[in-house]
Amino acid sequence: MRETNWTPARPARGILAARPGFAARSVAGLGQTLVSGDLDAALAALAPGAPLIGLYGLAPDGAYALRVARDRALLVTPAPIGPADGWRQGWCATAVDDGWAAVDVEGDGAGLVLMQGTSADLAAGSPSAAVLFAGQRVLLARRPNGFRLHVEAPRLEALLKWLDGA
Amino acid sequence: MLFPCPFCGPRDETEFHYVGEPKPRPEPAGTVGEADWADYLYVNANPRGPAREIWLHLACMDMFVMTRDTATNAVLGAETPGRAS
Repeated sequence: MRETNWTPARPARGILAARPGFAARSVAGLGQTLVSGDLDAALAALAPGAPLIGLYGLAPDGAYALRVARDRALLVTPAPIGPADGWRQGWCATAVDDGWAAVDVEGDGAGLVLMQGTSADLAAGSPSAAVLFAGQRVLLARRPNGFRLHVEAPRLEALLKWLDGA
Repeated sequence: MLFPCPFCGPRDETEFHYVGEPKPRPEPAGTVGEADWADYLYVNANPRGPAREIWLHLACMDMFVMTRDTATNAVLGAETPGRAS
């Protein structure tokens, strides 16, 4: 095996993985913006009313922000918002619309996939939505029919490989 | 085993990375000899029993000090230096 041979990444659209009991579907067209610093001020300016949610919090259909760290979050909007890069009044925004991928895992077996993927106590909650899932650092949110993973785009293929075998 | 991230709360130990023992870096760097640098880099107290250790939570990237009993693996406390947990 040559270490320089990378697995070709499948196109990140449509159904990405399907197994008995669940399907993983790409959530296309979202706007994704990393915000740092004063999160309250950043969200008020970029997406007023967007909830700041932690581990396995319910992601609404509209805008929401997944907290990564004390002073960092991923703002998710229904469409790209094209924020100006750089610092202003205590916060900073960086557009990562294509830099992160969003995957919805849905189906009767989605709960079992969740249990296989992470050992975190999801019922207990946590301020940060960041967690190791299938060995990958992801942001995890709850959806009405399953769960949503936001993952850095280069890690998506490894995540999908794991889902192929789940 | 669960480790306590001061920000996230209890998380599985696989989410954490050991960084090292908390100890002051010899200063000023320009006057520190090779032996002192080697001591700083490679010589650790490595006590048996309660020990203060720097850990990184790979999920939220919080760097913190955890007090852990190296004989029993019991976690005795965790704090982020300079911040009330």
